[in-house]
Amino acid sequence: MSSQPAVHGQSGPPAAQTPAERVLELNGVHTYYGNIHALKGVTMDVAPGEIVTLIGSNGAGKSTTLRTISGIERAREGTVRLNGRDITKMPAHEVVALGVGHAPEGRRVFSRMSVAENLDLGAFRRSGPDVATDLARVYDLFPRLKERRTQKAGTLSGGEQQMLAIGRALMTQPSVLLLDEPSMGLSPILTEQIFKIISEINDQGTTVLLVEQNALMALNVAQRGYVLQTGKIILSDTAANLAANEQVRQAYLGEI
Amino acid sequence: MAELISGRQLRRVATIGAVAAVVVLYLCMVGLVEAFKDRNVVTGVITLGAVMLLAVPLIAGYRAALPARDPSGPTPGPAQRIVFGLLVGLIAGAVLGVFVLIASAVDVRGVLVRISPPLLAFISFGLPSGLAQLAITGVGGLVGALGALLLVSPARIRNAVTSGLVAVLFMSMIEPLLRPRLEQLDYTAISDFLYKAHGLTEMASILCFVVGAGAALLWQPGNELVRRSIEAAPVQTRRRIRGWTIAVLVVAVLILPQVSGTFLAQVAVLVGLYLLLALGLNIVVGYAGLLDLGYVAFFAVGAYLTALLTSPDSSLGIGLPFFVALPIVMLGAGMTGLLIGAPVLRLRGDYLAIVTLGFGEIARVLFESDALRPWLGGVQGILGIPSPFPVRIDLQLGTTHIFATGPQVLYYPIFAFCALAAVFAYRLSNSRIGRAWNAMREDESVAEATGVSTVNYKLLAFALGATTGCLSGALFAVQLGSVFPGSFDVFVSITVLAVIILGGMGSIPGVILGAIVLIGLPELLREFVEYRILVYGAVLVAMMLLRPEGLIPNRGRQRELHEAESEEEEETLDGDLMPQRGQT
Repeated sequence: MSSQPAVHGQSGPPAAQTPAERVLELNGVHTYYGNIHALKGVTMDVAPGEIVTLIGSNGAGKSTTLRTISGIERAREGTVRLNGRDITKMPAHEVVALGVGHAPEGRRVFSRMSVAENLDLGAFRRSGPDVATDLARVYDLFPRLKERRTQKAGTLSGGEQQMLAIGRALMTQPSVLLLDEPSMGLSPILTEQIFKIISEINDQGTTVLLVEQNALMALNVAQRGYVLQTGKIILSDTAANLAANEQVRQAYLGEI
Repeated sequence: MAELISGRQLRRVATIGAVAAVVVLYLCMVGLVEAFKDRNVVTGVITLGAVMLLAVPLIAGYRAALPARDPSGPTPGPAQRIVFGLLVGLIAGAVLGVFVLIASAVDVRGVLVRISPPLLAFISFGLPSGLAQLAITGVGGLVGALGALLLVSPARIRNAVTSGLVAVLFMSMIEPLLRPRLEQLDYTAISDFLYKAHGLTEMASILCFVVGAGAALLWQPGNELVRRSIEAAPVQTRRRIRGWTIAVLVVAVLILPQVSGTFLAQVAVLVGLYLLLALGLNIVVGYAGLLDLGYVAFFAVGAYLTALLTSPDSSLGIGLPFFVALPIVMLGAGMTGLLIGAPVLRLRGDYLAIVTLGFGEIARVLFESDALRPWLGGVQGILGIPSPFPVRIDLQLGTTHIFATGPQVLYYPIFAFCALAAVFAYRLSNSRIGRAWNAMREDESVAEATGVSTVNYKLLAFALGATTGCLSGALFAVQLGSVFPGSFDVFVSITVLAVIILGGMGSIPGVILGAIVLIGLPELLREFVEYRILVYGAVLVAMMLLRPEGLIPNRGRQRELHEAESEEEEETLDGDLMPQRGQT
């Protein structure tokens, strides 16, 4: 296993930006599922142009964090800010319009609709000529989707469905793209391919918040990372430092 | 027996035979056989009750002759399969025979009210005990073997025989419709040739069988030929053919009440009212995926609002003209949709179904209640709703004389509203709204994450569904001239839902066909009325097993439900037999 993870971009001190420069900012967020206290005061931020990853074990609250940001779950305490604007209490469909693109866990595509219809739904809140531009961009990133645009999404392979979920999220023209476990259930080759595309999307200027169980791969592409454990952030550092961190290596990178 | 039939095959035959026996006994005990034992199919030859009884060993024999699901055993030859069918029929017949024996020796009518002496005499061919048992068993075996023979014979012959039999059955079923009309139009010679004592004559039944069988034999090559020549034709011709087909259909629909007479027009009006309801519910259930079991509430609101606004006898007593009242009614019903929709938005699936079921009942109880009696008329309802449509039309157009009364007139506005609703629903399903509903139905939280406001779109579905349903209610009130709370019970909701499920959720042609089959057919078989709900239940269970996507499915849904096709094929005949058992 490689012990020298590549680091993209500058690895400056984390969270050095002033508040106005942050795309996304969570402050002491508490989220509950009924009586279950899922997030216990999560504080984190994402700056423009970054890839930030959120790693942690099963049930740590990674997906819940993303769902709280995009408004599918409601935070009971704390604030979520997008480009400085409070979106904590905003319903999901309005959060989308403000620029949060969410590719949910487990490739949840609309399986009875065609690929093109799925992408079209991504642009549900938008109209105008730049929708076509974005569609061309998605087809550029994922040529496979273009080949299969009339095919029902349910008939796509796992990797293609993941591409479609990411593509659909990109069609919302997000200022931050939330990716939930994009490598889940994919073969190593496909995983590598997906991560390459994530870097590419980021190079084109989209900010990415990436949730992954495959911590090694995630730290490879990200500039910064947060480690989440039972609903709390226990570590935050540059990706390189996290990858080198003894605690992280033991818990998430499978080293003893 | 050992060399002819293996242990496993014997078990299978015994199981199917036992199922057939249970179904036969069930048909007798619920009184279906008795209800139809005097209705002639072919006068002097066979009655509908007998057809019903004989269909069971026939289907069971066919089923027994199907290859077993487990392919590991030896494949039975044709002769062997016929023996399977024979055995299954014998089992069913023998059980029925024993039952007749017991029933005629011991008085079972205390418990089984429907087992009357005439029924027993009917089943035992009027023969004395002993001989009767032999005859019943023998006939059962024979018919079972015939069923198996049908399976073993080549597909062409099988299709021809089946469609010949169906043609005979169909022609005899429409006797109450066709004969009076023929006599009315002075075609007595034809009606005398076709029918005698409410059944087909022997000659006519042979003719029907030949025509039906012939049609089936010619269908395949003929259909192929037509399809190929249409495909070969240039686009322009194809478009013209399409245009003509639609034109012919429209004309046929328009002159239908003229040709068919008042009774069929009345049935068509009823079908139209339910079709409107079904088109509305299809928006809620088929498009938006919200299972609403209280849809009757909107039907009732439409009818009552119309009554209140248009009847001079109502508590409002303003007597507005119908077409002035209609927009207000639609608005009111839309508001009711929002009112019912809003509190149940957070509920999904079963919970939504339960709550809407409750709402439907609440609506009926309110309309019935004494507290609201000064306004809504309580149990007595509201009377004196004037019809905006003429009671009769008497026109001389050149050489043709047009004369229409009652339902023959009402048919046209109802048809127009149905067409309007169908076009509206079709356009809706292909719009941005339709896509949003589609997304919401498939995955609510992802739909929300792509920017669909599920709250608004659910409310919209409820409101549009309510508006369409209230149209039906308004026409219903006008048709009857009065409204009573008794007309708005839960069975309306269930029936409309059954129409959608049968036809195919989210598919407009399917909904139309569903309304015709489920509302129209039972009206033609008046004896069925008592058993309507039983038959609905049976039909729905059968549909879930055989064709869960409906008769004319929505394109997207079909593929998903038919992944396990090969396994389902085996279930086919179980499906025919099981619903009746499920009803006990």
